[in-house]
Amino acid sequence: MNRVQKARLFTIFRYAMLLIWSVIVAFPIFWIVSTSFKPDWEWHAWPPVYWSKEASWVNYRAVWGRTQSPRATSGEKVATETARYESHSANKPWQALWNSLYIAITATALSVAFGAILAYGVSRYRILSEIRMFQLLVLRMIPPIVVAAPLTLYYSAIHLMDTALGLIIVYFITTLPYSVWMTKSFVDEVPVEIEQAAEILGATKWQAIREVIFPLIRSGIVATFLFILILTWSEYLLSLMLSKVDVVTLPVQLAKYEGSDEGRVYGHQAALAVGITLPLMVIGIFIRKHLVRGFTFGMVKR
Amino acid sequence: MATATIAQPKGRRSTRARGVRVFKWSVLSPLILLFAFLIPVFLLQIYFSFHSWTVYLSTWFDAEYVGLELFQEVLTEGRFWRAMGRSLLFAGLSTLGCFISGFILALLMYKPFRGQAFFYILFILPMLTVPVVIAYTADMLLYEKGPINGFLSYFLPGDLSKFTWLANPDVAIFTIILLEIWNWTPFVFIIMLAGLSSLPTEPVEAARILGANRLQIFREIQLPLLRPVIFLALILRFLEAMAEFPKTWGLIQGGPGTATETIPIYLYFTTWVSFDISKGAAMSYVVMVIMIFIVLTAIYVLRREKRALDALHETSRAEA
Repeated sequence: MNRVQKARLFTIFRYAMLLIWSVIVAFPIFWIVSTSFKPDWEWHAWPPVYWSKEASWVNYRAVWGRTQSPRATSGEKVATETARYESHSANKPWQALWNSLYIAITATALSVAFGAILAYGVSRYRILSEIRMFQLLVLRMIPPIVVAAPLTLYYSAIHLMDTALGLIIVYFITTLPYSVWMTKSFVDEVPVEIEQAAEILGATKWQAIREVIFPLIRSGIVATFLFILILTWSEYLLSLMLSKVDVVTLPVQLAKYEGSDEGRVYGHQAALAVGITLPLMVIGIFIRKHLVRGFTFGMVKR
Repeated sequence: MATATIAQPKGRRSTRARGVRVFKWSVLSPLILLFAFLIPVFLLQIYFSFHSWTVYLSTWFDAEYVGLELFQEVLTEGRFWRAMGRSLLFAGLSTLGCFISGFILALLMYKPFRGQAFFYILFILPMLTVPVVIAYTADMLLYEKGPINGFLSYFLPGDLSKFTWLANPDVAIFTIILLEIWNWTPFVFIIMLAGLSSLPTEPVEAARILGANRLQIFREIQLPLLRPVIFLALILRFLEAMAEFPKTWGLIQGGPGTATETIPIYLYFTTWVSFDISKGAAMSYVVMVIMIFIVLTAIYVLRREKRALDALHETSRAEA
């Protein structure tokens, strides 16, 4: 077998493998999207319905519709069937969306802002030694469940239970290692000489940071922000324990679509799940070049 | 680490040093205050692990002092150690699975080819889904009359609409391991891809000229150079897997029976289903000690490998 044949064989092998993995990755995603458009008699059908014959927005209306009684589009049957599941949609997904949005965004913004300042200090003045920086990782590496019980009791004693502030505090702490390490990797890439040159030319320290450093790391800060938003948006355990009624976030809300007698309300869950996941995927694809840096605390650059 | 070192008049330097000190403490003090705010959490945990209290009793401070009894109960309990074993099995196997599939994908994809960007975007999607959503999607897929059984029934004989992925205690743990692998293969994939594409090309070229074959180049040159990245991927993945909660809880709550009860699930169960706060606190301590031991080892290795990685980047930058 000569070189050309070998190369061609490898190409075929590569595409075959990648195609198999593509199916593994894409099928669950396809399935949840497809289920979100199915009427309820197709949810549990055997043989399974891959491509709905009566696709409609009815699940989306039931979950996201402002009114609690969705109108059916394809006949009387849909209307009565959706009415059966109406009780589940009384759980206010819009409220959950709002909670998720402002808790995730506030916690992330605080974490990144504070993390960036700390990272600047560490990168330029070593205000934390290397070992301290690694110890910071402990905050993320110890499973949060081990402090969950006393945290809940402490929170209820000081009236932080079921409040946005309570969740923001824990999200701030658990994402801090990521924001410090990730922004530090961006600050490290800016040569000190640029900053010093600005100072020699008469700029104050603050001016040098604002006019020279910040513009250079701005895209890095945005990437860090979006990366941490992914983490806080999808967080489940802490939200499940520290919220009861008022600050239920979307991942916790999703778990509420479970009928006692009908089993899981697949169509509604799917419609909600698509709504939760879509923004994450868009953000993730947008910052795909920086994901490595994020997940490895800035230890691996691409 | 870059520190400003411009020669300056003596007076200015000391004001500068003071400025740095002021800056340092004004950054660190909010952080310290925040930790101080959380100290009661740890005090409460100590209190509860030495006093027997469940939510069915009245106030916290009526709890009876029981000394080390709760720790003894946890440490001699079969269920706890089985959960620990299951956690280690779950974390170990899923880390291995993620690593093998992620590394193979990275090896197939690190050189430019047609469609590279498309496959990259597609392959990172599982990492960008909410874990709870994965749990519910898996429920829809693995349901006895779901599409996975439907798909397999084209190839396999017999009525697959009765095969259960989740209700069978021997299968369930492997099902959640597969889910974890599906979810986090992209993590290893992107790390290994970054690692492979930042490798210096000269040693590979040199080896090829000297007549080494692909396998030799991979084993003798690429693999040793990738070591720090491999360690990073394995360690971070293992630690995250030890803490995995949303998928397992959302899907089967540790069931059937206790077949998928890992440490986070058992802790959650003890505290929020049995409401046995004190036992949960004592158990948390045991878990925390074990985890801190694992994490400190991990951090030691991470520091070493980070230095190796920085050195590698330094040389490849110098060459470029």
